[in-house]
Amino acid sequence: MVAGAALLYFTIKKVIYRQVDNSLLTEKTIIEDQIKQTDTIPDFEATFGHQIEVKLLTYHVRSYQSIKDTDIYDPNSDSFIPFRYIYYSSNTIEKKGFIITIFQTISEKNELLQDIGLYMFFLFFSLLLISILINYLIARRLWKPFYESVKIAGKFDIQSDTPLNLPGTDINEFNQLNEVFNNMTRKMRIDYLNLKEFSENASHEIQTPLAVIRSKADLLMQQKNLNKDSINLVKSINEATTRLFKLNQGLLLISKIENQVFHEKKLVSMKRIAEFGLDNYREIMQLKKIHVEIDAIDEAMIEMNEVLAEVMISNLLSNAVRFNIDGGFIKCHIDNKYIIFTNTGLPISADPEDLFKRFHKNSNNPQSVGLGLSIVRKIAESYGMVVTYSCHGTIHELKLKYR
Amino acid sequence: MKLLIVEDDRSLSRSINDYLKMEGHLCEVALTFADATEKASLNKYDCIILDIGLPDGNGLDLIREMKANRMTGGILILSAKSSLDDKLVGLKIGADDYLTKPFHFAELSARINSIFRRNNFLGLNEIAFNEIRINTEDNQVHVNENLLTLTKKEYDLLLFFMANRNRIITKESIVEHLWGDNVILTDSFDFVYTHVKNLRKKIVSANGRNYIKCIYGFGYKFIDS
Repeated sequence: MVAGAALLYFTIKKVIYRQVDNSLLTEKTIIEDQIKQTDTIPDFEATFGHQIEVKLLTYHVRSYQSIKDTDIYDPNSDSFIPFRYIYYSSNTIEKKGFIITIFQTISEKNELLQDIGLYMFFLFFSLLLISILINYLIARRLWKPFYESVKIAGKFDIQSDTPLNLPGTDINEFNQLNEVFNNMTRKMRIDYLNLKEFSENASHEIQTPLAVIRSKADLLMQQKNLNKDSINLVKSINEATTRLFKLNQGLLLISKIENQVFHEKKLVSMKRIAEFGLDNYREIMQLKKIHVEIDAIDEAMIEMNEVLAEVMISNLLSNAVRFNIDGGFIKCHIDNKYIIFTNTGLPISADPEDLFKRFHKNSNNPQSVGLGLSIVRKIAESYGMVVTYSCHGTIHELKLKYR
Repeated sequence: MKLLIVEDDRSLSRSINDYLKMEGHLCEVALTFADATEKASLNKYDCIILDIGLPDGNGLDLIREMKANRMTGGILILSAKSSLDDKLVGLKIGADDYLTKPFHFAELSARINSIFRRNNFLGLNEIAFNEIRINTEDNQVHVNENLLTLTKKEYDLLLFFMANRNRIITKESIVEHLWGDNVILTDSFDFVYTHVKNLRKKIVSANGRNYIKCIYGFGYKFIDS
């Protein structure tokens, strides 16, 4: 476009110049003819308003012609005015030389050129704007179904109950794309649901054999006259069973949260639950000489499942107790935005994000199954809450933001 | 006590049967829903230990039937599904308690005892054992007529021991009993030790005998000697 405008500008400029040159040439020819015919300097009044200088010479000159630009000082306007002039020298039949110089101002022409340029610029610019606008409007109309699909697809959550349902459009290509997406996500969802169902079923099915093992170990334990080796064997079986049970229980809980088994909601007071939880650990904290401070500004009524709220707070608390040091402290701050547990403990080197991963093992505590915080996060996520961990040396902080 | 064990897993029902027999209960086993319905309608049981997920029926229906026929006796639901809904429904239609698999026998015993106490000793909420008297109504414990001041956990622990006299109780089962099985406390065995120690000290200082014995490798035993 810019190149086109430039090209047009230069073309027009060339045309103007050619016109000026032609008129100069024509005039020159007229004057030349007159000189050649009459041998006198013609009367210039009748010319086209050009400034003409004619010199008749007495000697012979070389025939020469050139057309050039020049600026001539104009005392009236105290400025230089652009002129085009022709310089022509030739000889009459009597071999006498003459020089014709014709000046023609081109300032008007330049102004014309400038005006044309300006108009052209406006024209092109508005054309550009209009074309952009039209383009935009067409694109918006054309891509509307696409953006709608993107919006719907962006909200797709494999864990939600509703499958992805992209609407049909007038445009074939988009229809095909939507169809492919619909089918793809439908398959994904089915796989996901199968997997979810499988893990929940597997967890449930494990419970009964686990109960059998535990019951047999219990019975074995009650037998009299067990020797030390047998006791150790039963003890190991017991420990492993308990571990497996805890693990399975944790996984089952996670899968239940995912399956939205705990859909019953009511307003629960975080303050009450935290106080209840602290009470449950009170003796343990006394034994570890952990100082407890509870700073509840608000009742913090949150609409959620009560059981899950208890599990969440209890896990956070058990974390604060378990990884605490003897003589340390736990601070619990509750307001209507956050619940924050701050506690002392050994410094940890792990990435804070890793703590929330399933089966994250803490080197200080090999017995831990590593599900506590991932359960907390799972519950938090299911209510749109955010749980973050930060650590400053030996001070650990777990922050739960309700909304 | 006369108990009916409804559990389709043969191995598990036999274990439960063996253990409860050792406790001195009279037990019968039903492996199917049909069998259980028949036995429940023919006999009177003090407590039915009922697995909900039976191959030929839902245990909850058995509860409904029993309640419709005004049969007495406690019902303890035993389920692999710790699903809250099942639990709520079960308790709502008349079950007395709910225990999730896998469970400790000590816990099962404690639950059965508690159901039995609630159903059969109306107004007589007292457990007496030699010089120890526990009033479960107002949660008071007397040893030789001296009132013991016990913490909630110590009191629960004593009741737990009472329900499992002469049986080995593992530390794990004590932890689960005292703190609930949602609580993940792996280093809590030290606390069990402290609680047991404190309870023992309190009983002995009230001129009671030391009944709680430490059993190597397992846990504790409350023995009558």
